[in-house]
Formats: sequence, structure tokens, C-alpha cells
Amino acid sequence: MRVAAIIVLSLASHLAQAESSFDLSVDARAIAVDAPTSYLYGGLGKLRFDDDHDGIQVGRVNAAWSQPIGETFQARVDASLWRFGDDNAFDLTEAYLEYRPYPANGWRSRLKVGAFYAPISLENREAGWTNPYLVTSSAINTWVGEELRTIGAEYSLGWLGTRTGHPFDAEFVAGVYGWNDPAGVLVATRGWAMHDRQTTLFGEVGEAGNGPVPGRTLFKEIDDRAGYYAGVSLKYLDRAELRVLHYDNNADSEAFDAGINDFAWLTKFDSVGLRVETANGWTFISQWLGGDTAAEPETGYEKWDFYSMFALVSKAFGPHRFSLRGDWFDMEHVVTSWPPAETDDGSAWTAGYSFDYGEHWRFSVEALEISSDTTKRAWIGEPPRATEQQLQLQVRYSF
Amino acid sequence: MAAGGSLDVHVVAHDGKAVVGAVVMLHGPAGSPPAKPGAFVVDQVDKVFQPDLTVMPVGSTVTFPNSDKVSHQVYSFSPTRKFQLPLYRGTPYPPMKFDMAGIVTLGCNIHDDMIAYLVVTDAAWFGRTGKDGIWTSAELPAGNYRAEIWHPRLREDPPVIETKVALDASRAGRIEVALSKSLRPEPLDARPKSWSDY
Repeated sequence: MRVAAIIVLSLASHLAQAESSFDLSVDARAIAVDAPTSYLYGGLGKLRFDDDHDGIQVGRVNAAWSQPIGETFQARVDASLWRFGDDNAFDLTEAYLEYRPYPANGWRSRLKVGAFYAPISLENREAGWTNPYLVTSSAINTWVGEELRTIGAEYSLGWLGTRTGHPFDAEFVAGVYGWNDPAGVLVATRGWAMHDRQTTLFGEVGEAGNGPVPGRTLFKEIDDRAGYYAGVSLKYLDRAELRVLHYDNNADSEAFDAGINDFAWLTKFDSVGLRVETANGWTFISQWLGGDTAAEPETGYEKWDFYSMFALVSKAFGPHRFSLRGDWFDMEHVVTSWPPAETDDGSAWTAGYSFDYGEHWRFSVEALEISSDTTKRAWIGEPPRATEQQLQLQVRYSF
Repeated sequence: MAAGGSLDVHVVAHDGKAVVGAVVMLHGPAGSPPAKPGAFVVDQVDKVFQPDLTVMPVGSTVTFPNSDKVSHQVYSFSPTRKFQLPLYRGTPYPPMKFDMAGIVTLGCNIHDDMIAYLVVTDAAWFGRTGKDGIWTSAELPAGNYRAEIWHPRLREDPPVIETKVALDASRAGRIEVALSKSLRPEPLDARPKSWSDY
């Protein structure tokens, strides 16, 4: 008993030494939108908001906690609320333990265990996996935030060339994970989307039993097979970063989970992205992601191809930032036993301005237009072609 | 030995422009007294080391306070001095002594964009070139000198440029170093505090 008390006391004093940090932010929006019913509410609109969900809305309430443990471990938990009334309204987006041993002779290993984002996005680089350039993420990274999470372990080995007189750093990364078997279902059955809502670890996407996205669960182990990804990042000083990643969730596409009424979707893709920054405040980001997903119900093998790319240009003038992004996306049901094959292709333009007032406030305005041809809209009695427009004002306070 | 000679060291980029902030280390004739060690501070503010380069005599001490709200973990694996300071905020560690000449590259194991340099020198005279690309030293005794020139963005091979000059008291000495290659780009300004690694 006394020994236990001593251990607890010494652990507590150790934790107190390596102080934890707690961050909280509240993001409110004013939305004007001209778009069909959102996929979140039974439709096939590609936005978070629609004609019935506009005006003053919750953007996000985000709380993040980091706790150093000992010299080289750190725990991080990130939780968010996207809308009052969601089941598990306040839920986790990431929770992991990271081991960062000290670099030795120019090399460094890192190990992450828990639930976290794979290193795919080059635009979602702000705390909470937020996009600092535009409120709305690209179609690619909207999808990453919706369907992907590494729930497992990731190892990376970095060569710290810039610490040994070279202008380059390089990193190899590999992840092994489970609980991501449904990944692919949204892009296949709904198509691409554009917003900033990330799927929480215990949350669902869409309303149960309503429309093409009937309350999908994304993070579930169905086939007891681990997936993997492997990638490389190459950096030139702090000016440019190239990321390449191959992802394969290795799902058994015949496996079905009655509990969530969904298959294990065999999803594979490659992603290539480049970010370049200049000394006078310009940022250029471009990313391409393409792959396929398959499910195998008793009626036969079904396969969907998908790809998207975007190009973003942003210019900062002190606390002011102007950004413009073009997105192009395509999904095609290429092998099907229920013809005609569904397709979703389109493009989008997003233009935004943000102003950081001091350390705590951000004010943003963003205009977005998505034009898409989504054959599945016929299922819900809508014309396949739709142009969605959204204007949003954001006020965010970070504590 | 006659006193009073002066020396100008000009560092010029390959395009003819002045190289600002190049480190000049001047080794004098035998018997020149070494520079006196000092106490230096490399702070961490908004995830940036300040200053990003410090030139100091051998035997100097450096304190590494962390003025940020986030913890930093400072390391060097440079052969001149390998060390690591476990995660901290504030100033929990005593000053560290650097008693070997050479270049120490500092990093933070949490924030990979943080980089800074300590140049530890046994030269009797040292400094950095100004906006005109010139470093000047006066009151130099006559004799043979060896100058070492270094800059973190230099692409030359070997990375430290060496040159020799003989000084007498009657006229000002001058060394002109013209780089054969352009400098690497300068580091970007500090990124917003809220940015993270993903």
C-alpha cells in the first residue's frame, strides 16, 4: 500500500514536471448555401450544410490535450463537436501515444500507437488537423478525414540531413492498422464531398436509415485482417515537401458485418503531393490521389475506381491570407452486376480570405462552387447534374 | 610586434552581392591570446531558436531557456558536442559549457523546423559580416593570419573556407572571398503557433 502510494506520488510529481498542454477552440459559422440536401441528411449534396441547415451553425468545438510522459513519450487526445444533436456529440478524432527517441547520428525513429491520421494531407497542418488555408478541405482530404484513420501503429525512420549540413531531410513511414474495413464505402456509394467535418472514432456519417448515406460506421474491424500503408517524404530545407504513399486496407471484400450492415471494402490507393513555400509568403500545394475499392456481395464482385486532384495557391500578407483552390474528382463503378454503372465526376473552386487577429481570433470568409454529375441523384429524384454554392463566414476563438 | 593593423574581410556571393552574416574566425600569429569565454543564451520563442546563430569562444557557456508555452526537446548530434535536453519549459537546466571548437547544429525533437547553430571557435578574433558583407577587425598585431569563413547556407565544399593573409602595421589588410556557388534559400519566417506536424 505504502509502496503504491510512493509510486503514485513519484509518478504525479514526474507528470507535473513534464507539463501537459490543453488547447480549446470554438468555431462558429454563418452559412449561405444553394445546394441540394446534404449527404448528412439523406441527400447527395456534397457539403456539410444545405438549405435546411444554414444561417448560424456550429463550425467546430475542438479540445486537444497533450501530455509528455517521461523524456521521450507523449500522449495526445483530440476531441471535437461538429453539431449539437449528433450521437456522441463530443467525440475523439485522434488519440495516440507517440515515442520519439533522441536522434542519433542523423537518424531518428518514431513510433505512434493509437488512432491518428496517416501522413497524406499537405494542407491539413494546423492543430486539430485543420486546414489553415481554407475552411473547406480539398475533395481528397475531405475524404481522408471522413473515411481514413490509422487505428494501429506507425513507424517512421527519418534522415535528418539538414542537421548534418545537407539541404534535404527524408523520411520513410509504414503503418499497420485494423478497424478501417469500411473505408471506401462513402466514395463508392455517395461519391466525393467537400467540407471540414472529420469522422469521429465512435461517430457515424449520415442519418440512420435515411438516404444514400444511412448512418455509416467507418471505424470497425470486420475481417480480422490488418491493413498497411508505406510512404516516403522528402523535404528540401523548409521550402518544399514531397509525399508519396501507398495505402491498402487489405480487406476481405466478402466479409460482412451485420452489426453495421456493411462490407469490408477492399480499398487501395496511391497519393502524391507536393507543397512549396516561398520567403515572400506564397504557398503552392498540389496533390493527386487515385485508387479503387471493391465489395463482394452474393450478387457478385463490385469495383469502383476513384481519383481526385487539387491545386492550391495561397499568399499571406502578415496576418492576412488569400487562397484559391481548384479540385477535380471522378468516381466510376467499373465492375458491376447492377448496371448501369454509377459515376460521380466534377470540379470545384474555392476562394477564401482569413485574418488572424492576435493569438486567439481568426475571421474567415470563403466562397465555394462545386459542379458535379452524379448519376445516383436519379435514385432520390434529383437531376444528376448539380451546382452547389456556399458562402461561409467563420469566427474562431482559440484559448 | 607592431600594433594597429586592421583587416577587412569581404564575403561576396557568386552573383557579386554581399553575403550578410557570414562567420569570420581569424587565427593570429603564434602567441595571440585566445578570446575570452562568455555566457550566451539561445532562447526558444514561437517555435524558433533566438538567435539562430551564435559565435562563441571555446569554453563559453550557453543556456537554452524555453519561452514558449509548448515543451521543447533540444538536441545536437554534431561531433563537436552531442547532447539532449529532455522535454521542458522555462529554464530547468544549468548553462552548458562548450569546450571543443567546431559547429554544433541544434534541433528540437518535437518541432523539426526548428534549427540553429553554435559556432565554437578557438580563434582570437571572430565576428560576422554586416549588411555590406564586410567584417572588420582593428588593432591587429603584424604577422601571418589564417581566416576561416562559414555560413549555414553555404554550398561550398569543404564547407569552411580557409584563406591566409600577412599583415603589417603600415597598411590595412584585405581578404576578399568570392563564393563559387549561390547560397541556399534562407529559412522561412516563423510559422503560426497553431501549426503542427501531420
